[in-house]
Amino acid sequence: MSSLVLTITETLRYRGALGQWSWVLHRISGLGVVLFLTLHVIDTSWSVFYPALYVKAIAVYQTPLFTIGEFALIAAVVYHALNGLRIAILDYRPALWRYQARAAWIVLGASVLLLIPVFILMFGHVLNFYNDPERRVLPFADVLESQLPFAVGIVLAVVAGVLYSGIHGVIAPRKETPTDNMFRRPVGSRWEKFWWSYMRVSGFLIVPLVFGHLAMMHVIQGVFDITAADYVTVGTNVVNQTGTSVEFVANRWNYLVGGIAVWRLYDIALLALTVIHGFNGLRYVLTDYTADSTLIRRGMIYTCIIGALILLMVGGLALLGTIDQTAIRMAEEAVAKLHP
Amino acid sequence: MDVTFRIRRYNPEIPGKDKPHWQEFKLSDVEPTDRVLEMLHRIKWEQDGTLAFRRSCAHGVCGSDAMRINGVNRLACKVLVRDLGNRIQVEPILGLPVLKDLIVDMEPFFEHYRAVMPFFVNDTPLPADGRERLQSPEDREKFDDTTKCILCACCTTACPSFWANGKYVGPAAIVQAHRFIFDSRDLAGDDRLDILASPDGVWRCRTIFNCTPACPRDIEITKAIGEVKLAIRNGSTEGIIEVRDIKHEA
Repeated sequence: MSSLVLTITETLRYRGALGQWSWVLHRISGLGVVLFLTLHVIDTSWSVFYPALYVKAIAVYQTPLFTIGEFALIAAVVYHALNGLRIAILDYRPALWRYQARAAWIVLGASVLLLIPVFILMFGHVLNFYNDPERRVLPFADVLESQLPFAVGIVLAVVAGVLYSGIHGVIAPRKETPTDNMFRRPVGSRWEKFWWSYMRVSGFLIVPLVFGHLAMMHVIQGVFDITAADYVTVGTNVVNQTGTSVEFVANRWNYLVGGIAVWRLYDIALLALTVIHGFNGLRYVLTDYTADSTLIRRGMIYTCIIGALILLMVGGLALLGTIDQTAIRMAEEAVAKLHP
Repeated sequence: MDVTFRIRRYNPEIPGKDKPHWQEFKLSDVEPTDRVLEMLHRIKWEQDGTLAFRRSCAHGVCGSDAMRINGVNRLACKVLVRDLGNRIQVEPILGLPVLKDLIVDMEPFFEHYRAVMPFFVNDTPLPADGRERLQSPEDREKFDDTTKCILCACCTTACPSFWANGKYVGPAAIVQAHRFIFDSRDLAGDDRLDILASPDGVWRCRTIFNCTPACPRDIEITKAIGEVKLAIRNGSTEGIIEVRDIKHEA
C-alpha cells in the first residue's frame, strides 16, 4: 500500500516525459475497462439465467450515471487499445524506440480523432432517448442499489483471495523467489514469459473484436436501442418484436450463418481473450504495489484467478445456454413490473 | 545571476532535522555556465557545511552525483544552471533508502547489479596464439551502447516499476547484463537470460521510457531492455540486434 501511495505521489512529482503519462493512462483505462467487464459479463449472463435481472440491468445502463460511464468506457477502450498497440510494437521492435514519443502523441491524437465521430453518434442515441416523451429512467437510488451486489462480490473475491493466500502460506513451506543453489540467483519463470507474450498477442486479436463489438452495441445501435421494439437487432436480420433486452440477446445468439451461431462464437472469443487479458493486467497492477507482503501479493493473484474463473464460467455457461420464448415472456413481465 | 536552491534535507542524527524537509539557499554571482555540482559546493562551503552529497570525479564519469534536479534524474556535474533557470530544486534519487540529505544507500542497487553476473565468463582455452579472443567489428557494435553505463542509478530510480517494487532488478542491471548477453565471446548469456526471466526480472518493465531520457550517457536503455526480453522469448540472441540499427558516432 505504501508503495502505491509513493508511486502515485512521485509519478505526479517526477517530470517524466510523455511515456510516463501514457503508462498512467494505460493503467487507469485498463482498470476501468476490467471493472466494467466484470459487471458486463455477469449481467449479460442473466439474459440466460435470470431474464428479469437482465431487464433491470439494461434499464440501469440507460440511466444518466451509466451513460456518462459508457462514454468514459469507450474512451478508455480506444486509448488502451491504441496505446497497447504502441507498446506491443515497441516491445517487438525495440529499435523503433526513437519514435516512441511521437507514437505516444499519435496515440493521443488518434484517440481523440476516433472519439469525436463516435461520441457524436453515441450522443445522437442519448438525445433520441431523452426526446422520447415515453422514456423511462430508473431512479438514481435504484441504480446505486443494483450495483451493491457487485461491490459486495468484489470485496468477497478480495477477501477470499487473501484467505486462500493465508491457507497457501500455512500449507506450503515458505518459499522465497526460487534460487539456483550454485549462484543463489533467481530462476526464470516460464509463466511470466508466457504472460508477456499473451498480453501482446491477445491485444492484437482483441482490438478488432472489441472495436467491432463497440461499434455494434454503442455506435450503430446504442444501449437505448436494445429495448426499442420493431428494431432489427444489430448484426442480424431479425426484428426485436417484444422490444426486450432479452430478445435482443436471443436474436443475436440464435442468429445462424451457414448453420453456425456466429455471434456466439464471436462473443466466446471476446470473453476468453478479454477476461484473461484483463485479469492478468489487473494482476500486474496489483502485484506491482504489494511486493512488500507475500500474504497480500499472493492474495491479489488468487483474487485475479478467482475473478477470471468466475467470469469465464458464468459467461461461458451463458454463451452455451439457450434463450427461449419463456425467457422472453419473463422479460416482458419484468418490464411491466419495472415501469408500472 | 541570482539563483534560489531548494534542497531536500534529512539528517537522522539531529533531532528536529530527522524528518525530510525542504531548505532554501540563495546564491548570487552565478554564471549561467556553472554546473549544479559547483553550486552545491558553494552552498556547502559558504553557507551550510552540514549539507551532504556524493561526488567524486565531478566530470560525469564516475556516476556518484545522481540526483533529482528540477524533477528529473540527472548528474549534478553535467547540468548547467542556464538549462534550469533561477529556481533549482534538488532532491535525492527515489526508490533507495535516504541516508542523509542527498545521499542514498546504493546497496540494493548494487545487489541487483551483482545478481546479473556482470563479468566476462569464458573458461574455454585461449586461442592458439595465446592472445586475445577475436570478435568482428559488427559483433562488437552489438553491445557498444551498453558498455557506456557508469552505474549512477539515474535510470533505475527514474522507473515507476522500481519505485513500486524494489525487488525489480531495474534498468541499470539489465543494461549491464545486456553488455555481456550480446557479447559473442561470453558464454554465460543463457544464465543471465534465466536470471532476468525471473518474475522480478525484465517482465516488470512496462515500457514506460522514463529510464532512457534519464541516462546521462545517452544509452538507449529501453531498447536494450526490449532486446533482452526478445532474447528471453526466443531463447537465443540470434538476429535480435541488426547491426544496421546501430548508430555510428561521427
